[in-house]
Amino acid sequence: MSPPTWILKMVQPRGTESIGRTWCCEAVENMTWLLKEWIRLKSFAELQILSKILSNPVPIIVSNGLGQFFKGIMEPQCKKQKTRVLSTFTWEVTPVLSDEKLCEVELLEAFAAPIINKKQTSCLIKQLTCLYPLNNLPHIKRVRNCRDKSDHPLEIIICLLRDIPNREVSLNDLFPEAKADGLGEPFRVRIPAYQPLTRSQFEVASQHWPTTFRENKQVTDALQGHLFNTEEKTKMQTFMEKAIEAATVGKKMGMEPVGAVIVNPATDEVVAVGHDCRNGPNPLLHAVMVCIDLVAYSQGGGAFNHNKYHNCCFKAVESFPGEHAINIGKPLLPSNDDSLRENIVNGLPYICTGYDLYVSREPCVMCAMALVHSRIRRVFYATSFPDGALGTKYKIHTKKDLNHHYDVFKGLMEDECQFLLS
Amino acid sequence: MGEGDGAGFQPPQKQEQEQWMERALTMAKEALENGEVPVGCLMVYRNEILGQGRNEVNETKNATRHAEMVAIDQVLKWCHQKGRDRKEVFEHTVLYVTVEPCIMCAAALRLLNIPLVVYGCQNERFGGCGSVLNISQDDLLYTGTPFQCLGGYRAEEAVELLKTFYKAENPNAPKSKARKKH
Ligand SMILES: [Zn+2]
Ligand SMILES: [Zn+2]
Repeated sequence: MSPPTWILKMVQPRGTESIGRTWCCEAVENMTWLLKEWIRLKSFAELQILSKILSNPVPIIVSNGLGQFFKGIMEPQCKKQKTRVLSTFTWEVTPVLSDEKLCEVELLEAFAAPIINKKQTSCLIKQLTCLYPLNNLPHIKRVRNCRDKSDHPLEIIICLLRDIPNREVSLNDLFPEAKADGLGEPFRVRIPAYQPLTRSQFEVASQHWPTTFRENKQVTDALQGHLFNTEEKTKMQTFMEKAIEAATVGKKMGMEPVGAVIVNPATDEVVAVGHDCRNGPNPLLHAVMVCIDLVAYSQGGGAFNHNKYHNCCFKAVESFPGEHAINIGKPLLPSNDDSLRENIVNGLPYICTGYDLYVSREPCVMCAMALVHSRIRRVFYATSFPDGALGTKYKIHTKKDLNHHYDVFKGLMEDECQFLLS
Repeated sequence: MGEGDGAGFQPPQKQEQEQWMERALTMAKEALENGEVPVGCLMVYRNEILGQGRNEVNETKNATRHAEMVAIDQVLKWCHQKGRDRKEVFEHTVLYVTVEPCIMCAAALRLLNIPLVVYGCQNERFGGCGSVLNISQDDLLYTGTPFQCLGGYRAEEAVELLKTFYKAENPNAPKSKARKKH
């Protein structure tokens, strides 16, 4: 008979976020001999092993020792289900977006005026478009509704402050020749300088003046943490666990505790697993550089000898993600990136094209740029690094001048990797 | 800056710099004639060449095998064979290269505490010594030490070599015999 497997049902209390570095698991009632004491857990995998030993449903608390974090019940899993099901995750990934997607809404000073006579509106718009065309501001809606606050129904943008030399002006100054029929006294407003890129930018912008907004659903979802479903998250966790495993082996050999895994998302195949080797003969063999070279081996190339490190390994690939992979994996930006086409040389992809990287710590500048050269598709990392080049010090993956861009997500199993580094 | 600031490193005389750059440029020309990326690169330690790399991206299918990275490996190998302290060696090694190192290579040079890079033309696409980012000088506490750069040595010639190469590289351009291997 096979040992019972378990479903771990846990509910994260709202508003809790940070849980220290060490987790502990404690049974509240029906304590078995195993759970009489706090047990340090490095990962959910350990909790799962623990749960296999138990035979009855056990209420549990997972905590960081300072305060309670999770409360729930471990219960035997239905016999037909063989795989582990995690209904909640202890981590949340957030996308590392370019600065312009995160920046505050920039505003420009403008003159607006109330429209006293609503019938004049279309005529006024025509006049003003001619006089003050508002170039480079196609997102600005010229006219806005005034709901309850005033005696006039509409307000219209006349011009930008920078369009006129004298800044204290009357209607006559603003309309030197034409007649401004149906307009009230002009007043100053601040209007958004650019079209908003995210919903939160849109909300801020609209408070100043109505703008057009074509929402990028991916970015909004990503910012709200809804980008990945449970199935995807389970896979992501599996790959990161593999990276952590490699890092742990490397750590025992005196290396920096950093591990990396490269995956073909088209098939969920692990192409390469590597740990940091910088404390060996070559100080530049960071985990990412090791993995890039292992991918090269998988395609019949390679530059370094990794035989000494049994946990740095690759899988020879028969099928490349190629063009297929270009269409999977939800890019955060609509890809009008023609460089993707160039990546396919003689029917073969350019090294890491279409692949995903899972790495326990944010890559340094060298590694982040090596990933640009290798045309990686997406990077998931757990913890930040003070000199990190994918969010902390630089955002090399979003740098406009470079010829390849990739999506980056951080926070995947952050606590486990923090534990690894401690 | 503490240790690792290349204490005792004296930058070579201008005349010496020009001699090594002359050599790097000759290497770049040879590379072009062999259909390779025309970048010449030398690592010189106390008047001795310890590494001279050429781009090996195609052979290794590893996009990080730029000339600088290949040359660095040769220096590492030399240190290993001679039983020399690699930290001491790199702290007194000058890189001569016909094109500004890219962002990745600039970071690698920092990590090895190389004190000085002499280069020819700027690398508009990937340059890590000012063109795209300034990795050589930025404040990065955990990424080795900043290094000094002397750029512009016969830059026009170096650019011309690259242009010739990328013209041949462009699939829309007429195929050049120089691009064919073997
Ligand atoms: Zn690195
Ligand atoms: Zn480079």
